[in-house]
Amino acid sequence: MAIDRRAFIKANAVAVAASVAGVAIPTAASNLITTSEATQIKWDKAACRFCGTGCSVNVGVMDGKVVATHGDIKSPVNKGLNCVKGYFLSKIMYGKDRLTSPMLRMKNGQYDKQGEFTPISWEQAFDIMAEKAKATLKAKGPTAVGMFGSGQWTVQEGYAAAKLYKAGFRSNNIDPNARHCMASAVGGFMRTFGIDEPMGCYDDIEAADAIVLWGSNMAEMHPILWTRVTDRRLSAPHVNVAVLSTYQHRSFDLADNGMIFTPQTDLAILNYIANYIIQTNRVNHDFVNKHTNFRLGNTDIGYGLRPEHPLEKKAKNNNKAGGSTPISFEEYAKFVSKYTAEYVSELSTVPVHKLKELAEMYADPQVKVTSFWTMGFNQHTRGVWANNLIYNIHLLTGKIATSGNSPFSLTGQPSACGTAREVGTFSHRLPADMVVTNPKHRAKAEKIWQLPEGTIPAKPGYHAVLQNRMLKDGKLNFYWVQCNNNMQAAANMNEEGLPGYRHPDNFIVVSDPYPTVTAQAADLVLPTAMWVEKEGVYGNAERRTQAWYQMVQAPEGAKSDMWQVVEFSKRFKVEDVWPEVLLAKKPELRGKTLFDVLYANGTVDQFSLDDIPTDRLNQESRDFGFYIQKGLFEEYATFGRGHAHDLAPYDRYHQERGLRWPVVDGKETLRRFKEGSDPYVKPGTDWDFYGKPDGRAVIFALPYEPAAESPDDEYDLWLSTGRVLEHWHSGSMTQRVPELYKAMPDALVYMHPDDARSRGMRRGDKVKIVSRRGAVETRVETRGRNKPPKGLVFMPWFDASRLVNKVTLDATDPLSKETDFKKCAVKVVKGEA
Amino acid sequence: MIRIIKIVWQTLRRPSAYYSLGFLVMGGFIAGILFWGGFNTALEATNTEAFCISCHEMKNNVYEELKTTIHFTNRSGVRATCPDCHVPHKWTDKIARKMQASKEVWGKIFGSINTREKFIENRKRLALHEWQRLKANDSLECRNCHNFDYMDFTEQSNRAAQQHSTSLASGEKTCIDCHKGIAHQLPDMQGIEGWH
Amino acid sequence: MKNKFIGFTLLSVLLATITNLQAEGDSLATLRNATAIADQKPTPSIAKTQNSDVKQVRSYPMQPPLIPHTVRNYEINLNSNKCMSCHSRQRIRESQAPMVSVTHFMDREGNFLAEISPRRYFCNQCHVTQSDAKPLVENTFVDMHTLINMPPEQ
Repeated sequence: MAIDRRAFIKANAVAVAASVAGVAIPTAASNLITTSEATQIKWDKAACRFCGTGCSVNVGVMDGKVVATHGDIKSPVNKGLNCVKGYFLSKIMYGKDRLTSPMLRMKNGQYDKQGEFTPISWEQAFDIMAEKAKATLKAKGPTAVGMFGSGQWTVQEGYAAAKLYKAGFRSNNIDPNARHCMASAVGGFMRTFGIDEPMGCYDDIEAADAIVLWGSNMAEMHPILWTRVTDRRLSAPHVNVAVLSTYQHRSFDLADNGMIFTPQTDLAILNYIANYIIQTNRVNHDFVNKHTNFRLGNTDIGYGLRPEHPLEKKAKNNNKAGGSTPISFEEYAKFVSKYTAEYVSELSTVPVHKLKELAEMYADPQVKVTSFWTMGFNQHTRGVWANNLIYNIHLLTGKIATSGNSPFSLTGQPSACGTAREVGTFSHRLPADMVVTNPKHRAKAEKIWQLPEGTIPAKPGYHAVLQNRMLKDGKLNFYWVQCNNNMQAAANMNEEGLPGYRHPDNFIVVSDPYPTVTAQAADLVLPTAMWVEKEGVYGNAERRTQAWYQMVQAPEGAKSDMWQVVEFSKRFKVEDVWPEVLLAKKPELRGKTLFDVLYANGTVDQFSLDDIPTDRLNQESRDFGFYIQKGLFEEYATFGRGHAHDLAPYDRYHQERGLRWPVVDGKETLRRFKEGSDPYVKPGTDWDFYGKPDGRAVIFALPYEPAAESPDDEYDLWLSTGRVLEHWHSGSMTQRVPELYKAMPDALVYMHPDDARSRGMRRGDKVKIVSRRGAVETRVETRGRNKPPKGLVFMPWFDASRLVNKVTLDATDPLSKETDFKKCAVKVVKGEA
Repeated sequence: MIRIIKIVWQTLRRPSAYYSLGFLVMGGFIAGILFWGGFNTALEATNTEAFCISCHEMKNNVYEELKTTIHFTNRSGVRATCPDCHVPHKWTDKIARKMQASKEVWGKIFGSINTREKFIENRKRLALHEWQRLKANDSLECRNCHNFDYMDFTEQSNRAAQQHSTSLASGEKTCIDCHKGIAHQLPDMQGIEGWH
Repeated sequence: MKNKFIGFTLLSVLLATITNLQAEGDSLATLRNATAIADQKPTPSIAKTQNSDVKQVRSYPMQPPLIPHTVRNYEINLNSNKCMSCHSRQRIRESQAPMVSVTHFMDREGNFLAEISPRRYFCNQCHVTQSDAKPLVENTFVDMHTLINMPPEQ
């Protein structure tokens, strides 16, 4: 809030009047107020609300308001730095349009799908939600209720929600927006190593001789990691930085070897590097023989589209996409031998000498290489393959899990690792890498949750993309969206998302601090507390778990996601949701509410309010009568302790700037799978990939296969979408910060000047980006920060006013079910002047 | 072949026996005009952007870089083409520059910058040439369009007006001192005055 | 009184008309000017970057200052850092630009270096220009200075 001249004069007048009247005002030395009481800011630490880097920030509070934020000097991640978004965290909670009351679509005092949003009480909101959920469960059973959550949920929120759905409603239809973000990375880890999340850590940056960005624009998307890469490159001149992308962006500013490749040909480049390593005799045979197996993966696996799509009908193996058969090293060598420099150069348009330079960095045993990737690999119809293929290179050379040698999958969201992956809020997962399809895993979860055997359903639920399709088909009818903006974020909005949300049979609940596009599409909107208005835990990309306390009160009426989930559970008796056969196995649960069964179960409610430091707010715990965040965390932690996912006791996270799991004997683990660093490695093995039964990681033979949709005569351009530095995801927080908004107000389409000229366009022209699915209007940018090659355009998706996902294709990786937001075919046509 | 050259040479050496002096003077004059016109036309043909970017070295490097800059696209559409900045407008200077250009032809034939990498390797040397030339002639090619006497400082940003009304006005600085890299990407700027 | 009443009636009729023109529930969409999801609000021109050279107030002392001028084609890469040709310690006498803050000379461990720390090399990660676009939604952030100047509550 800018203080204008009048207000300033008024404030001064107050001071003058007060001093004349002899009223005590803060003491001032000349024109400065210096009283410590008046100028003191209460500082506390929190994890940044934005990306998966997991910076720690110091948050300054005065009179119950956040007045300042800055980078935490004590944090090993960011050492006092923030990016521009992080520096403006102080303002994200103060958009004037914060929601403060539940809003229901109503006509004539009744809920009506076509009604106007009308403020109602929380009591009424839960009434209608419970009514709709119970009716749906009764009519169609658990598969007709679902939830879409987030990698921006705190660990406790994700855990409470997963429990409510998987155990309470007995529905696996819960999935996080991390599905759009890193499901392919998860698939890659599970397939190659049998255990999720990176083996290395950020410290590898300072030890690497070569750093390769595969499709990642770290300069904008992980700016603080970029400061570490920049620091390394510029302070140690022998270090080489290679950057690969389908268009030129800011990260190329530091690149010694910058490469623009044709979309999808990253698969071929990866195989070329493996071939180069073999051809130049630089395979680390000792490592490969002891620690790896070779397998040939199934090919022609389809594109994760609806089954009636011609591409799916044509695909041979879309029913067994994950299948593979063992092969020998020689067979693998033969498989990759066709990926010669000349062939791959022609396919990718990257010059031969640049490919060789890149391959040599990986091949040279003296060079320590760290590879980074994010959405370029993950949002890819062969995303899991791309992840497998990069591990191949690191495994062939043994450049893995040692200082500076690190294949590192970055994460997009602040707790994609902590909440989505570790807690297991995916439709097929349970905590600590367990899956619902495994009876032993289900039994373990049921034991920890003190539930009768058979509570958790064995069949995976609907994943993110399938949820939108099932909403459209009227098979998913009660749907709750928390902590994300999926109407804006999901691909192919016109054909799937929007008709799904507005389907007359469906009841859509959206919890959000702000009225987002998703809220606009909802039937009931719940006002939500955010970030330091609640206590929580986030887990970042290097397995670092970080906690913060509640620092300010949420606006009157706004409640945290966790409070909403737990409070809602009180509306259900077990009899409402469980069949008699299940109840009969544990009759003592009869008559109890889901709140009693899931949260007041003796574990979650074991810590009293006395455990909360007296000067802390903790609104939710005080509402429920026990220290709920600690209880949820400790129950959740029992899943991973002793299973290579060990977390420290909850209270310790309030003292530390995070700890990297597994935390064994109070000590964090920097690098997994390596003897001496990881306590879970069997002594004498040197490396132990213990996620696999035989301790060996898998090197996969997987080919280059084309994209789901490529440019043709009519739709003659590739469209890639993505983020920008100034805005976090859909912009629901950052578009409300004036400085960030004014730095990057609108999403433009970035085009090569020659592509614009040949279409009779110039910078600033109003144009439509048109695909087979829809159109979005925007303006042409020919000299912006992104410089696409001819034949490709880029448009960011942060802009609520220009929804680029009306254009994108919902083709997904058949293995990870993650959408490819980076490739579809469009044409750009001139709008009226 | 040698015989033919000999005959031509001897014919040229021999004094004219058939034509009047007047005819020869007039004829020579007209021939001179034709030759001169032809020479200048050819010279001017090499003085166009189209000629410059007929070599891929220019088209893919410096010209591509120019496309996003203010000297290529701006509010009034007054564009600087390659020769506007890189070829002197005064005839004697132009000829001198063209003589230098013979070396560039040599470079083209032998491919001294025929890849992006070679070009980047040589960028500092090439840029230094241009900066020295512009420094020596007081940024003459800039001033062909940007005449100091007609600058309206009130239409400039504060910091530009400040610099132009002091350092540039006094002659202490010339355009190129501050405006390096205005139309093309910069080379490694280590050791360059004003950049460290 | 009568005039007031007529004015009020007219106003409410007008408001009702506006509301009816919108599809149901779209009034919620503040960033979208209450445009239905299937539609798109008019596409404004590309916003112009402010070039006033006037320093802006910082929301708090630790906020990185905003760039009050255009930076078109300013390069920051392996070859050069255009920003430092004015804002470096050695260049500010000539340029009269503000010097980069002393924090920029500190490495990760907090030691002062003789030059800007390479971790701060890419200025544009924290410092951004401002366009003339008008924010879509007001922000009610309160400056700490306003708070300390408030008379104590009775």
